[in-house]
Amino acid sequence: MDLIFLLQDVINGILMGSIYGLVALGLTLVFGVLKIINFAHGSFLMVGMYVAYWIVAYTGLHPYLALFLVAPIMYFFGYQMQQWLIRPIFVAERDVREPITVIIVTTGVWYVLDNLALLLFGPDYRALSPNPLKGEMIEIGEILISTPKLFGFIITVLTAAGLYWFLLKTRMGRAIRATSLDRDAASLMGISQWKIFNVAFGIGTAIAGIAAVVLVPVYNVYPTVGVPFDVKSFVIVVLGGLGSIPGALLGGVIIGLIESIGPNFMTSTWTEAIVYGLFLLVLFFKPSGLFGQKYDW
Amino acid sequence: MTPQSFKKTGLALLVLTALALPLILRSPTYLHILIMLYLYAYMTTTWNLVGGFAGVLPLGHSVFVGIGAYTSTVLWLQWGISPWIGMLVGGCLAGFVAYLIGKPTLKMRGAYFALATMAFVEGVRVIVENVDQLGPFKLNGPRGLNIPPLPAGEGSLLAFQFATKEPYYYIILFMLMGVVYLTWRLSRSKLGYSLSAGGEEPEAAEALGVNVAKCKVTAMVLSAFLTALAGTFLAQMTLFIYPKSVLTLDLSFELAFIALIGGRGSLAGPIIGALMLRPVTEFSRIYLSATLPGMHLILLGVILIVVMLYQPRGLSEPLTRLFNRLQDRICSTKTGGAK
Repeated sequence: MDLIFLLQDVINGILMGSIYGLVALGLTLVFGVLKIINFAHGSFLMVGMYVAYWIVAYTGLHPYLALFLVAPIMYFFGYQMQQWLIRPIFVAERDVREPITVIIVTTGVWYVLDNLALLLFGPDYRALSPNPLKGEMIEIGEILISTPKLFGFIITVLTAAGLYWFLLKTRMGRAIRATSLDRDAASLMGISQWKIFNVAFGIGTAIAGIAAVVLVPVYNVYPTVGVPFDVKSFVIVVLGGLGSIPGALLGGVIIGLIESIGPNFMTSTWTEAIVYGLFLLVLFFKPSGLFGQKYDW
Repeated sequence: MTPQSFKKTGLALLVLTALALPLILRSPTYLHILIMLYLYAYMTTTWNLVGGFAGVLPLGHSVFVGIGAYTSTVLWLQWGISPWIGMLVGGCLAGFVAYLIGKPTLKMRGAYFALATMAFVEGVRVIVENVDQLGPFKLNGPRGLNIPPLPAGEGSLLAFQFATKEPYYYIILFMLMGVVYLTWRLSRSKLGYSLSAGGEEPEAAEALGVNVAKCKVTAMVLSAFLTALAGTFLAQMTLFIYPKSVLTLDLSFELAFIALIGGRGSLAGPIIGALMLRPVTEFSRIYLSATLPGMHLILLGVILIVVMLYQPRGLSEPLTRLFNRLQDRICSTKTGGAK
């Protein structure tokens, strides 16, 4: 096998993996603060993709400019979702730190959203149009790099850096970190737990929106598009350590690499089995993942 | 009439009705719906042994259904071993797998266990879909396995195939009654108390000398064994199994949904949940799917969200309250008269 092809696969794997990492980033943030797993995260990504798709289809905006509309819309969506659906569970089960009921309610949200999309938009696979990025490639020597995926990588890095800056330097970011460490102590310091939960959930959903904008130029939109990303995000966050931001990105890149290099050595469907196998190995031998805190499992 | 005898009469009436139903209901379509209802009630009851009593959320029980279905079918197709024996072999195999997966994962916190079991189903499905031949066993990959039907109109107990629906109805009814009785006995045993104590307050239970992890593993193995039996039944009912029918997340989720809507950890919960959800899914799938695709899943999701928000312990709780009030009224008027 040619080394140059391997190199190309490695680069592709890193680029695609960083987009997986971006999806998982929203999930891991929500887990870090609320200690719940949002099973509807993939559906939020799907909603974001439809929003981006329709904005571009109606206004003819450049897909990346749509970001400035999609992210606030998704933030609002997530904020309200937390306020009206998940908060009541926390109120009802005050003494439980990580209520399992949330998994079930968010699964319900997943079913409703996916099938609502099916009902409204039909099962068609929609490709973005107008799509100025379609099939765009950058050539470096013999290596071909997909431009939208490269932009995806850059946007992922910027988003992660922005999130870091926000969490470390702003007042709200500090309040979020305090709540994630100890919500009772944070409440005693005058931080409104509910507001923080809403904001964190909103940001997590907005990140799903950013990922949606990144994906729309390279990926078809259809009602169940979120499901493979949902399951993949679970694998990624557990691999990287639930609640860890670098863990999510690194986990994403690992999965991306397995998927892009794997098919050189085996049938591509087997790579999927390897991903799950790796996931189970991590769960058995290091359940806290690569960067997770032991306390959280 | 004492409360005890009231309960016993009610239960006897319920069982008699269930036994007599095929005599009144001659339509195979309705019998089939009832059989599927009992089958789901059965699988949810076995799910409940882990998901309800042990206080964790298993999302991978379709693996055990799949192991049961595949084991008995492979044994029957390749060596002509009766599915009844295959059923037990599949159960033991499922129990063994449950031990392997449960031992390390049941120590983890709730969310991790749910994710681990989910990934396990997906992993097993991917492997089965990619394997035509596993050692000496022919699995046929994504195409699945066909059980050749007996000549029309013939039935054989040994082959676990019947010409009419009635035998299937009675088999699954007895399986359901058996597993409900077993759960009832278990909930009053030492293991049952240890499980619910470990599920509610693991630290407190440990302090009292309960080996919480070991109890949970025991429950998981037992649950897997019983769930696999349903897999064999399903295979013999449909005579066709493939990875996407028995090894899916959808089936795992549906069991969890039925249990949670009915009431997890309660004896009547799975049955109430199956009674509520199965007809909703069956009928909306039949009548709505042509005009409104996906409508039955939207309904399912909405029911799930509403029940979880307003009755987090499931529908069995308000129904039990209603039943108790009825019981009080009837019993107190009778005893009042005797005074």
